Amino acid sequence: MAAHLPLFYPSCRKLHPSSLRKTGARLKFRSLSTTQRYAVAASTCLAVMLLSLPLRDQVDVANIDMLFVLAVFASAIWCGRGPAVMAAFFSVALFDFFFIPPYYSFAVADAQYLITFAVMLLVGLITSQLVARLAERTTAAQESERQTRLLHAFSRELGVALDAEQAMAATTRFVAAFGFRAIALLPSLPDSGSVLSPLGQERLTTLELSFAHSAFEQQRIIEADTLAGVSDVILFLPLVVAPREQRAQVALGVLAIGTPEQDPQPLRALRSLLEAGADQFARTLDYLHQVEAARISALHSAEERLRTSILASLSHDLRTPLTSLVGLADELTQRPGLGDEAVARSAGTIRDQALAMHHMLSNLLEMARLQGGEVRLNKEWQPVDDVIGSSLRLLGPALASRPVDVQILGDLPLVCFDAVLIERVVCNLLENALKYSPAGSPIRLTVRSADANLEIGIRNQGQGFPSDALKSVFKLFVRGSAEMAASGTGMGLAICQAIVAAHHGEIWAENSADGATVHFTLPLGVPPTLTEESVP
Amino acid sequence: MTTGKDTVLVVEDEHSIRRFVCDALHREGCATLEAESVSSGLSLAAAENPALVILDLGLPDASGIEFIRTLRDWSQVPILILSARTAESDKVSALDHGADDYLTKPFGVAELLARVRALLRRQHQAETATPVRRFGDIEVDLSRRLVQRAGTPLHLTQLEYRLLATLLANDGKVLTHRQLLLEVWGPGHAQQGHYLKVYVNRLRQKLESNPTQPQFLLTETGVGYRFQS
Repeated sequence: MAAHLPLFYPSCRKLHPSSLRKTGARLKFRSLSTTQRYAVAASTCLAVMLLSLPLRDQVDVANIDMLFVLAVFASAIWCGRGPAVMAAFFSVALFDFFFIPPYYSFAVADAQYLITFAVMLLVGLITSQLVARLAERTTAAQESERQTRLLHAFSRELGVALDAEQAMAATTRFVAAFGFRAIALLPSLPDSGSVLSPLGQERLTTLELSFAHSAFEQQRIIEADTLAGVSDVILFLPLVVAPREQRAQVALGVLAIGTPEQDPQPLRALRSLLEAGADQFARTLDYLHQVEAARISALHSAEERLRTSILASLSHDLRTPLTSLVGLADELTQRPGLGDEAVARSAGTIRDQALAMHHMLSNLLEMARLQGGEVRLNKEWQPVDDVIGSSLRLLGPALASRPVDVQILGDLPLVCFDAVLIERVVCNLLENALKYSPAGSPIRLTVRSADANLEIGIRNQGQGFPSDALKSVFKLFVRGSAEMAASGTGMGLAICQAIVAAHHGEIWAENSADGATVHFTLPLGVPPTLTEESVP
Repeated sequence: MTTGKDTVLVVEDEHSIRRFVCDALHREGCATLEAESVSSGLSLAAAENPALVILDLGLPDASGIEFIRTLRDWSQVPILILSARTAESDKVSALDHGADDYLTKPFGVAELLARVRALLRRQHQAETATPVRRFGDIEVDLSRRLVQRAGTPLHLTQLEYRLLATLLANDGKVLTHRQLLLEVWGPGHAQQGHYLKVYVNRLRQKLESNPTQPQFLLTETGVGYRFQS
């Protein structure tokens, strides 16, 4: 492998177009115009004639004949097929005119020279054919080697590109090495898809943009004709990324290629190479997108971890003193032989207030957790009865004075939800129902399946929600009515709303003649099957 | 309720919480040992052999889980955890590692003492186990695998019976979903939580007088189930 390296290094430095033109250095006459090449070939023949003329009498004519064949051969190598053919005829003419008696006339004294002419012409023509074909092959091989080297250098440059701009710069250099102009068009907003805009300073005409859009949308190559003065960009290559698992083939953008010349032929000849280049560019862009996405997701999870740890330590630091407060006050109320009734009462009040504060704190922390970022649900398939029973038990003492009517209508399927969070919703709704209804009035909880949802309604016999606030009560810090006597922070329903929304359910409030109901839904899915016991 | 003078080890780094817990325990007639860290707690537990350990999960030097794991290497003493409400996963992990029950901060003295009594009673009952258990109007004869409601036999399937027996054997103790699935359904079913939930529901339909507001087969949301007589 090491032996190949020096081959690649120079190509790096040679990327500049002016230096790349040197590839055919040994065949420099080929870069001349057609007329000039014919002139070179003719001059070669004339030179042979002038050099041999003084030797005409010393040297056998057959050897001079050989020199002319050599001139044709040289013309074939240097100037190509056409000039070589011309040189073959010209040589025969010169040979005849200057070296075959009678001199300075095309007349031939000895008819056997006609054979010499014929052989000379034939050899000249055949060698010129062979040599020219060889030279063409060599040029083609050198050109293809140059293309390969450029493509290699290009992929190496793409490999170290850190963003789309650098990848584009490498693409521009690659395309410029062939004398063309490259413009990348990418969607102006990621995922917006439809509007393409050129990268960098480049500008395109409306016509060119519309070609680019069709190439992008149909994911196929579009080749247009040059329109003098209107458009020099004629090739539109969609930057397509092959389908991957769970993803169809997508176009990331379009690589438009323009040629400064009127003649589109050189560009068409290199189309497959340019397609290969566009393909590499597309893959690099895709890779850069993925790297960027991974970086953003890592950033998000770091943020999420920080948030969680801040919330956790906040929760710990605030809860610890409250735990002491509740415990110590409670201990005081229950200490026998305290004697003073008033002290026990005060201690009871301190305990209750500390508990209320804890309740508010929990709501605040819960809201902070639900509002920032994505809520991570711990969903499981389970009967909803469980959570209703546990909610009622959690609120046990508060509900003791109220008749609670639980109605579960029909045989309910298992539902997939986060039990802890839904318990929170049911508890909050029950607490609200308690808070905003007269003491001793009943509370009704109904569960039924409606269409593709499980619907839970909690109803009290209170005054109901203010009719203009039926929607806004679910917003943070909004309460049913400002002057209501019951205490609260206006977070309970907002928390319910956030939790239900995270479960893709809905929550709404409703007033009826004798009270208010809050409903929420949980989408029913296809529950996992249960294999029943074979033996009863 | 407690017989003699039980010793309770309180492992909690917050001084004021430790104080009221110990005061309440003293009033209940227990002797107390106090530790502020996992390491001192473990050496006290080894030296004094307490009847109950009350453990705060958030200790400064090491995690409470570490304490439970080490203690369970040599002792089956009941462990009551003190933890914050939001950390269901911490509770589950502590219970899975062998803790017996948990209390959510903040908690009142009555709640604390109720849990302590239940755990100490279980400790003492272990020595005088009886095959017949009664709760509500249900009677379960574990020796004959017979379940009766007010004298009439009730039919339970094999799994229902096994679930009930497991819960009864751990009277008052919280069993996590994982523990119950492992015990009743066996290994390989740990991921099939919905079975457990459906069977608990069926047991409630058969045993509880009001299945939606159960009195005995209680749900510890996000954690597991508890039988409470």
